[in-house]
Amino acid sequence: MANLTTRFFGLDLKSPIIIGSSGLTSSVEKIKMLEKFGAGAVVLKSVFEEEIYAEFEDEFNKQSIGYANQEYLDYFDYEIKNDKVKHYLQLISEAKSSGVKIPIVASINCTSGSDWAFFARKLASAGVDALELNLFVMPSDVERDALAVRNYYFNTIKKVMTEVSIPVAIKISSYFSDLSLMIKDLSETGVAGITLFNRFYNVDIDIDTKELVPAKILSYPFEYLESLRWIGITSPIAKCDLAASTGIQDYQTAIKMLMAGASAVQVVSGVYKHGYDFIEEMNKSISKWMDANNYENLNDLIGVASSKSVKNPTLYQRVQFMKHFGGFTGSEEE
Amino acid sequence: MTTLEEYLKDRREQEWRVELRKKLKGKERTDIPRVHMPEVDPNERVKYQNMEVNTGLSKEQAIVEASRCMDCANPTCMEGCPVQINIPEFIKNIERNEFGEAAATLKQTSALPAVCGRVCPQEKQCEEKCFYKTKLNKEAVAIGYLERFAADWERESGSISIPECAPSNGIKVATIGSGPSSLSFAGDMIKLGYDVTVFEALHEIGGVLKYGIPEFRLPNSIVDTELENMKQMGVKFEKNFIVGRTASFDQLKEDGFKGFFVGSGAGLPRFMNIPGENYNGIMSSNEYLTRVNLMNASSDEFDTPVLKGKNVAVIGGGNTAMDSVRTAKRLGAERAMIVYRRSRAEMPARVEEVKHAIEEGIEFINLANPLEYYADETGRVNKMRLQHMELGEPDASGRRKPVEVEGLESEIDVDLVVVAVGVSPNPLIPACLPDLKVSKWGTIEVGENMQSSIPVIFAGGDIVRGGATVILAMGDGRNAAKSMHEYLSENN
Amino acid sequence: MNRIVEKEFFSKNVVKLVVEAPMIAKSRKPGNFIILRVSENGERIPLTIAGADEQKGTITIIAQTVGVSTEKLAKMNVGDSLHDLVGPLGKATEIHNVGTILACGGGVGIAPLLPIIEGFKKAGNRVISVLAARSKDLIILEDEVRKWSDEVIIMTDDGSHGKKGLVTQGAEEVILREKVDECIAIGPAIMMKFTSLLTKKYNIPTQASLNALMVDGTGMCGACRVTVGGKTKFTCVDGPEFDAHQIDFDEMMMRLGGYKKEEKADMEQYMSK
Repeated sequence: MANLTTRFFGLDLKSPIIIGSSGLTSSVEKIKMLEKFGAGAVVLKSVFEEEIYAEFEDEFNKQSIGYANQEYLDYFDYEIKNDKVKHYLQLISEAKSSGVKIPIVASINCTSGSDWAFFARKLASAGVDALELNLFVMPSDVERDALAVRNYYFNTIKKVMTEVSIPVAIKISSYFSDLSLMIKDLSETGVAGITLFNRFYNVDIDIDTKELVPAKILSYPFEYLESLRWIGITSPIAKCDLAASTGIQDYQTAIKMLMAGASAVQVVSGVYKHGYDFIEEMNKSISKWMDANNYENLNDLIGVASSKSVKNPTLYQRVQFMKHFGGFTGSEEE
Repeated sequence: MTTLEEYLKDRREQEWRVELRKKLKGKERTDIPRVHMPEVDPNERVKYQNMEVNTGLSKEQAIVEASRCMDCANPTCMEGCPVQINIPEFIKNIERNEFGEAAATLKQTSALPAVCGRVCPQEKQCEEKCFYKTKLNKEAVAIGYLERFAADWERESGSISIPECAPSNGIKVATIGSGPSSLSFAGDMIKLGYDVTVFEALHEIGGVLKYGIPEFRLPNSIVDTELENMKQMGVKFEKNFIVGRTASFDQLKEDGFKGFFVGSGAGLPRFMNIPGENYNGIMSSNEYLTRVNLMNASSDEFDTPVLKGKNVAVIGGGNTAMDSVRTAKRLGAERAMIVYRRSRAEMPARVEEVKHAIEEGIEFINLANPLEYYADETGRVNKMRLQHMELGEPDASGRRKPVEVEGLESEIDVDLVVVAVGVSPNPLIPACLPDLKVSKWGTIEVGENMQSSIPVIFAGGDIVRGGATVILAMGDGRNAAKSMHEYLSENN
Repeated sequence: MNRIVEKEFFSKNVVKLVVEAPMIAKSRKPGNFIILRVSENGERIPLTIAGADEQKGTITIIAQTVGVSTEKLAKMNVGDSLHDLVGPLGKATEIHNVGTILACGGGVGIAPLLPIIEGFKKAGNRVISVLAARSKDLIILEDEVRKWSDEVIIMTDDGSHGKKGLVTQGAEEVILREKVDECIAIGPAIMMKFTSLLTKKYNIPTQASLNALMVDGTGMCGACRVTVGGKTKFTCVDGPEFDAHQIDFDEMMMRLGGYKKEEKADMEQYMSK
């Protein structure tokens, strides 16, 4: 029987299948089910500073009577912030006291330094096993150059790590012009893991109304390809564990990620699409495949097809379609 | 039944008002500059907690100021008044030296004009809509100062008109709390002939008027005079009585109470939940002001202590923050500082309070927000770290949002910190009435007639609105009295 | 109103007063406290209700003279009236039948413990009470406690009564010899802290009743805030009892000393008059 234990978030996990930050983990019952069906760890839905601020604006608009209660609403964002923290604290303590054994990881996404520190501190004190910093800066601000963005990432990690003593991991996007170097440098900050890549909320256009609308929410399976490439490229140079995220919806993809060098994978859409059984199936199928291919421990699988291990690593870096390296024959199976 | 418009028109056409308007030409009126309220010199007044800053207009000053009022055919000032006091009528009464009439006019609508004249943010209410401001771009008529004048004159003259009360109908009603909304409710109900009891949890009647607003802004004696009047009218006051604890609502119903008005206010303190906030020397504005205003802690003759500081920081920008920082100054602070995350112009405090504070030497540290507090080995705060901010895009309040300037932090020495970032609705009553519909944030939900989800329970003031103004609370009390009277009349 | 009908000194510094308060006598439950003012210039001080007689309409309070206000209180006589008295405040003790209760009372903390012991005994529990104080004359209400306990162990620092030792020694003896289902500890903060550490070792659920500084006592000011399980709670409305194993006792004790300087100065001024 294959041994599926692995290590990520600085913690030992009984399965490489981590439930990513989403609504799947929003209640104690749900977390217990995820554990029951074999998840190795769960990441709670991100605490978003932006969302708190949006809720504050909503409350403000609902409650404001102009100057007459301006003083009452002036610091109301703190009420909302503290209320949100209370909610998370309750979820975490109820989950822990109801016997959940798998690690519970809190996720935060902020823009201001003081809020990163505030949420990190509060969630750590609630008893979560690790923190995942959902670190992302949208490079759409023409006033902010690459160096400023880079500094922001490192300053934030440093700030959070001085506030808490539990493991701090990060989840990033691929929006870096020096992605390899970034991952290498980030891995040397002492973070307990880097997850590649955050999946975006995407925007679409309704051509009838000319308005912006949300694009399809759940990921398409093929979206795994970007994470696969970069796990393959950077796993040999990263000083910390890596995890893959986005588009992992069957066991083969999970195995590919592990082979590329990931220690674990984060799944969300797969569970939304196929239910809790998906997790059990994944574990079973990976296990079966490992047995059939003589892998006793998951560890033995990790990195066997990374850029360090494969015969032709430069393929990981190929992006241009050239006839010399194999072209389109006109009958590609989608 | 006349509409308000018709009523005002009628009153305006009274002979005395017509004559009064003719006495001065328009330009003679508009040429008069706005009166300056006499104030105690700042260096003198910071030595005393109990010295009122504004000393009040003299008779002559009041009459001249009143003559500035144009007695507009369409009095826009009234649009700014949350309870629509008949402003032109009371002002014109002052002009014609009928101060008692002026007070009576005020009292038709406002239960506590001596209070409102002092604490209303007139610059955002009546005075903002004054003809002088909107059409002439000049300083408004000093409506607030005149209101205070008339109310004070009546009180000091000793000839306070006790309004006539309807014959007693024997129906018992209760208020929970004794602040402006409850007092306003009680005042109206007693006039309608009800048997009114005001229940107050603390040992003094008056609610926030006593424990929250300092002597130098609103002397407690003024509140006491109003209470005396109400006692004379027959209102009963029960101190040290917590409805829901000392006796339950059911017990009170058994005792014969048919209607309840909940005016328990927003007396729950708020903290920011940042590191070090529980060190000694860091307290809520409620605690600080209650010690000084209610318990007279600044006086040696009273037993309650209050912590004094050399370097005092008050976090916040509203009236409570102003009250706290100016109290600290009076208690001997060398540095009395306001730490507010927005700019000075955006502070919600009354303009006059900010002006007085500046005169008194209060330091304003704007665009700064506390991050953490530090303490000495006994646990007493001795330092705080500040995050500096800049103004970003406007937020829902229309003011520019304070945004952190990454990495820009500083530290200041403090030995006393007062957290004045707002207050929340008092949870006592909702806690003892599980069927009462309450919002997520603790406010009691009521209809337009101030009736709650429990038919015999009405509510108003801060417990319904969250922290808001005294005048709105009073308006709610009057509204609730009218509604409860209708309800009890129908259901008896 | 609020007339003192009975007065007794248990020792030089501990006084018992029985006060007329019919409404409070009727609505109070074990664990509740009151706030009183001795005079018009007085401080608002919290004191636990040690007992009540609904028939007579009276409540019993027991106070130790630790400062100006309690000194003034102790000087009042039968027939005098308290200027202000309000209650019942705080959450009542959760009393249920769990089996064996270990009640630990330190010094004047025995007073608020008494109604709780009575409550648990009436609910059908086996009650073992450990009373502790520095010396014999500081052990109060021994007879009343015996009435409602299956066993009483007395511990004194100097051995002048019962056994020589601290409350924790008496408590541990009980824990080691029989199964204890729940523990209540009331007394000086340091006593509650160490009792709590002891029971935590043995995984015995424990409630402690805190004596924080208060001003209004109705949840209005936050002076009485304590950290329980990482969250801020108000002793006057969320307490005064809390899960002892979650209380940050060190912070609580630090906050209790917040006015030491002012209290000392006030006392000196009062004594000099």
